[in-house]
Amino acid sequence: MQRMFRWIAIIAIVLGVALPVIPQIIWSLAHRWLFPSLLPTEWSMSSWEYVFSPSSRVVEGFMNSLEIAVFVCILSILVGLPAARAIALNDFKGKGIIEWLLMVPIIVPGIVSTLGIHQLFIRLHLTNTFIGVSLVHLIPCIPYMVLVMVSVFSNYGTELEDTARTLGAGPIRVFLNVTLPGILPGLMVATMFTFLISWGQYITTVLIGGGTIVTLPVVLFPFITGINYSNAAAISLVFVAPAILVLIFTSRQLGQDSAVMGGFGRL
Amino acid sequence: MVFNSRRIKLIFAITLLSILTLVAIGAVMAQDELIGEVPGFASWEEVLAAAEGTTVNWWMWGGSDKINTDVDTDIGQRVQELYGITLNRVPNGAELFVDQVLNEAAAGVEQGAIDLMWINGENFRTLADAELLYGPWSEFIPNATYVDWADPALAYDFGYPVNGYESPWGHAQFVMEYNTALVGEEPPTTFEDLTAWIEANPGLFTYPALPDFTGSVFVRHVFYWVAGGPEPFLGEFDQEVFDQYAPAVWEYLNSIEPNLWRGGETYPEATVMDSMLANQEIAFSMGYGPADAANNIAQGIYPETIRTFVFDTGTISNNNFVAIPFNSPNPAGAMVIANYILSEEFQLKLVDPAQWAWLSPISPAVYSEEFQQAVADMELHPATLSPTILAAAALPEPNGDWVTAIEAGWIENVLEN
Amino acid sequence: MNRLKLMEKLRVPMMLFPAIAIIVVLFGGGMISGVGQSVGYFPVIGLNNFTLDYYRDVLTDDGFITSLWLTFRLAFLSTLFSSVLAVAFALVLRHTFRGSRLLTLIYQVPIPIPHLVVATGIVLLVSQSGLLSRSSVALGLTQTPRDFPVMVFDTAGVAIQLTFLWKEVPFIGVVVLAVLKSVGPQYEEIARTLGANSWQRFRYVLFPLMLPGILSTSIIVFAFVFANYEIPLLLGVRHPTTLPVMAFRNYQDPDLALRPQAMAISMILAVVAIFLLVAYKRLAKYAVES
Repeated sequence: MQRMFRWIAIIAIVLGVALPVIPQIIWSLAHRWLFPSLLPTEWSMSSWEYVFSPSSRVVEGFMNSLEIAVFVCILSILVGLPAARAIALNDFKGKGIIEWLLMVPIIVPGIVSTLGIHQLFIRLHLTNTFIGVSLVHLIPCIPYMVLVMVSVFSNYGTELEDTARTLGAGPIRVFLNVTLPGILPGLMVATMFTFLISWGQYITTVLIGGGTIVTLPVVLFPFITGINYSNAAAISLVFVAPAILVLIFTSRQLGQDSAVMGGFGRL
Repeated sequence: MVFNSRRIKLIFAITLLSILTLVAIGAVMAQDELIGEVPGFASWEEVLAAAEGTTVNWWMWGGSDKINTDVDTDIGQRVQELYGITLNRVPNGAELFVDQVLNEAAAGVEQGAIDLMWINGENFRTLADAELLYGPWSEFIPNATYVDWADPALAYDFGYPVNGYESPWGHAQFVMEYNTALVGEEPPTTFEDLTAWIEANPGLFTYPALPDFTGSVFVRHVFYWVAGGPEPFLGEFDQEVFDQYAPAVWEYLNSIEPNLWRGGETYPEATVMDSMLANQEIAFSMGYGPADAANNIAQGIYPETIRTFVFDTGTISNNNFVAIPFNSPNPAGAMVIANYILSEEFQLKLVDPAQWAWLSPISPAVYSEEFQQAVADMELHPATLSPTILAAAALPEPNGDWVTAIEAGWIENVLEN
Repeated sequence: MNRLKLMEKLRVPMMLFPAIAIIVVLFGGGMISGVGQSVGYFPVIGLNNFTLDYYRDVLTDDGFITSLWLTFRLAFLSTLFSSVLAVAFALVLRHTFRGSRLLTLIYQVPIPIPHLVVATGIVLLVSQSGLLSRSSVALGLTQTPRDFPVMVFDTAGVAIQLTFLWKEVPFIGVVVLAVLKSVGPQYEEIARTLGANSWQRFRYVLFPLMLPGILSTSIIVFAFVFANYEIPLLLGVRHPTTLPVMAFRNYQDPDLALRPQAMAISMILAVVAIFLLVAYKRLAKYAVES
């Protein structure tokens, strides 16, 4: 009985995950693939050639997306980590309100704030700049960083830190040698979410980046609504690849550590 | 004085030579001089000097690898070589130009993100109404001499006066695309025949949901058909005239609805429709690009069996324009590019079926004989109708206010009905 | 000493300040402008007077209730189906067997893939000329695209649901799985020795353990689907459509006079979402405690 369920689940997961991905991989190599052919009648590398040509701006977009995402991860740790720790380890007046406030960007539809944010950024001279795009990406990242890290800190005792301090360790050493190892699995997952959120931003990048900051989604999205599936598929695969890499690095933490994902229990 | 034939010949030759010289000087002058005042610059030399070494941010839709590559090589590389201008093509998914310009205006930004934009009539009207465009300039750049500004299709963009705020660079005409494997070699070229075909072949015809650009122009054709021609809709919007024809149009569209794709339960996006045509989900598609079908066949997107036709009563044509926003940091560079894309050199690539395969907004007669010869020698793809057939069938666009009323009326009376 | 005390007092506010400042200034500032437009403050097009007309127009529109219901139904069903499937898979994946590590990794693959890319994949798979339809032709079951069942651009929204399922099942799944794995098999063993059958073990031991994780992730999933416009826009029927799609279409229209309505719809959407989530959280608390 249990074996049967297991096999059903294995087949369902493998097939379920693979099925929508398979056509994209084939499409990226297809030149002519019309109904009712099961496989392309003409194959071609032209979409991949286009992807790596300067005209497609895929390589340029990839590098920009990567730089921004890494920068956003750093900002998000700098801003989110102290906030999460403050919430998890202290009781103070208005804590509930602060927690809700930090979650608002997840709950309120982005469309309400996007245009206003654009106007605000123009006034602050943040449009068309790397910093501006990074900051606008940071907004939806903070809630996830805080959410995950609050739960990590909640299950985290400060006794070891206190011991280290009484033994004379300075704040930096305490953080590097005691705190960081303790929170690392959770921090990796939170950073993965931050990376992915930044990696996928489209409208905000177009508006705040004003065309000077061309990221991968900016290049890809016109193709998704177009009819050249080969190009759309090839660019999609380039877009998805680093995300999958990031996942492989954090997969263990994602699957095993209940404290990490349990953070979502606090919402 | 006796005129012998030799002397006459000589005089004739001299006269001809002087005329030719004058024409040549005129042509050179046309290449080099502004023919009116543009804001901020006294001469074309000044414009060129200001443009050299700069970057121009050109916002345009970025969903076609062919257009992207063509713009980069045939415009970007050439303006770099000729004028030292770097073209930064900014790819766009949705039409965010208006948002961008508007938000910048609201915040008082004097150095905007956009230098040049490829926009449609409705967006042009929004920006022109709000006085957020740089200009007037388009009638005064050197190559504007090629443009026949007396042609209402160039002087007006959807009935809105261009007045020097937009420069044309391509021409578009509505064509129907059909799959000969499902329709046969003789497509229904009148609305009566099309209606009969739809009834005989339920589920194989549809049109994009308005306010989509393509769906909207299809319904305009129905208006022209019901009214017996475009004339009633060319002037200012008139509610009485609209009420006279609109009910018949809605009635017709509702009457074919049960036999449309999905029984008219929904209407597709234009690009989705093209891929449905490619895969025999439907038998017809439509669009503003007469050579799109040929391009799609070449790219393997369409099967070889797709052909195009125009209605016996004609199809609507219009022009592609570029405009410069009021706060462009580099209007000089933008004008140089707008000027280049009107040049003979570029327009030859534009009309070449082996290259851009577009239509030109310029009459070939204004360019050199070589140009005309080259155009005459070009071989059309079997899925593309000849420019002569298209020109003979060309109908004007109605005034923009009609378009808005038609779109709102369709949503209320057909989609939500 | 006093300075130390002050430092101690300011420690928590200082740690919170950067995050709060970014949300309040950047996000809040943007919100205010959006709210302003929805009540008629939009100077660029000459709107300067406070009015609730846009809200009235939106709320009294015939299609509003239909759209609200559609939006709710989509979000509710997506959340429900995702949760059920996530629980089912978690029950299998919590055991260690040969290849279970790899299987868990495959299970997580959808998490980092953007929704729009997934939507494209789903279309290429289940549309009437998609891979499944072609397979059915190859098997001789159908001949033309029209013979294949309609799953894209349909009123039931099959492709929309599939897209959300593909994305959200693993998202809920990893949280539930993490809980089950950290608890280990002891509780279940105890229940077994006490004579509980497999249904009872699930109902009284495993399910209560999983519940907090399910509830919290389902809040995120519900809020996300409720506000998402891209997927129904890309895969849904034209009319009737969901509230976010309505807002987006108005927002995108070159006619700027429609912008305040777009903002009004978005605000209503936000208020409804927050109301539903607060109610849900209350219910969830009650459910967990009982």
